[in-house]
Amino acid sequence: MERIILHVDMNAFFAAVEQQSNPALRGKPIVVVGSAARTVILTASYEARAFGVKTGMRVFEARRLCPQLISVPVSNRLYAHVSAEIMKMLADYTPLVQVFSIDEAFLDISGSLGLFATPQRIAYLIKSRIKTRFGLTCSVGIAPNKLLAKLASEMQKPDGLTIIRPEEVPAILQNLPVGELCGIGRQTSRQLALLGITTCGQLAVFPREILRRKFGIVGDQLLRMAQGLDDSPVIAAADEEEVKSIGHSTTLAQDLSDRSAISVVLLQLAEMVGRRSRRYALAGRTLTMTVRYADFTTFSRQTKQSRPLTLSVDIYHAALKILDAIVLEQPVRLLGITLSGWDAAGQQLPLFNEDGREQRMTAAMDSVNNRLGDFTVTFASLLDKLNKGSHVISPAWRPEGVRHIDMS
Amino acid sequence: MQELSSDIRVAVIFGPDGRIRPVWFELKRRRHDVRTITNRWRERRGAIVQWHFHVTDDGALFELMFNPNDATWQLLCIEAL
Repeated sequence: MERIILHVDMNAFFAAVEQQSNPALRGKPIVVVGSAARTVILTASYEARAFGVKTGMRVFEARRLCPQLISVPVSNRLYAHVSAEIMKMLADYTPLVQVFSIDEAFLDISGSLGLFATPQRIAYLIKSRIKTRFGLTCSVGIAPNKLLAKLASEMQKPDGLTIIRPEEVPAILQNLPVGELCGIGRQTSRQLALLGITTCGQLAVFPREILRRKFGIVGDQLLRMAQGLDDSPVIAAADEEEVKSIGHSTTLAQDLSDRSAISVVLLQLAEMVGRRSRRYALAGRTLTMTVRYADFTTFSRQTKQSRPLTLSVDIYHAALKILDAIVLEQPVRLLGITLSGWDAAGQQLPLFNEDGREQRMTAAMDSVNNRLGDFTVTFASLLDKLNKGSHVISPAWRPEGVRHIDMS
Repeated sequence: MQELSSDIRVAVIFGPDGRIRPVWFELKRRRHDVRTITNRWRERRGAIVQWHFHVTDDGALFELMFNPNDATWQLLCIEAL
């Protein structure tokens, strides 16, 4: 049976949610920024885009293009809530909904036509319901696979609906720049350009052997993509693979060189990672710390622990050890901690009384914070120092489960 | 969202450019004024091209379908807002 895949892509999601929650912002050029100190634009409303304002631009640059620009700080919780409601609504049309990011989802509607008649009708039902319930618009793409459905949703923005039928695929791909396909980034596009390939049509007929020599097994994948082929299934949340790691990172409000200031941020991150791992009864032996310098140079260091970590203090101490082994060459812009290498045995019973006390204290803190919100009870050294940096929503964000990241 | 399939009476403006605009419709003897047309599209069913409209009144989203073959209207679904 031929598959019918639908891709829903919310238009300027963060900015549109802000405009809906504050009517005074509607119809005006606005941008959502990470924080007051880091003024990089996360999303621009379509009114701002009309002036040439783009994601990734700095606010002062954007203001040169659009002096009346309104800058709004990011409200991750609000976006996560609206996104979760939209994803719940999408599940009315098929159980096969894959949350691709906070503002994108794939639906496999191959088995839904008996109930809803046509793919087009499902698309319009989704668009109308999102518009009337949330005041938001989305672009929808319908195609025989995920690759083409995503491509289709990009074709008409905002508020578009594009259908790519199987017989239209070769003509659509023929002159399409390779970089337009999801999964072919700037780096790959550049490498393909060195081979004289700029369009999908050129890539689709390029000798497989040369691609293999240049890209390895990815060469085969590139060829298939250029031919519009993609067998990857739509994976519903319940069928997603077990989570391999839990991590948090934060861009600091200002670059830090002072180790004691850095250690405070590490404690906060350790608590965030620890809380999430404990919520899902996970304990990991591998701790990874990521550091980004002021000039955007980024690196990671990893340690293996003799016993699995789940308590925030243990994660913090392991992170401090990594920090102690690093000679910081520049002020730090971003810090991240990731816990992985889950231990099947889970949490070990404490051998010494002191360990048991730590566990009981952590359990008590968790229980208060679960009820009253993260960091209601926390370490004294974090009081008044919680980093209010740009908490950019992770691509791994999901409305529920281990991938759900609570963005306080 | 409630899926239905019932014949209804609809007051319509047929525009000079072939556009169709439902203005109000009757449901259970109550008149519902169309406040907004959220989406409109056409679907081919064999030889017939049906016109679909998503419209709102003050409290719900409705899907209306016009069959030009016999000039009838159907209400296909309702969702309370």
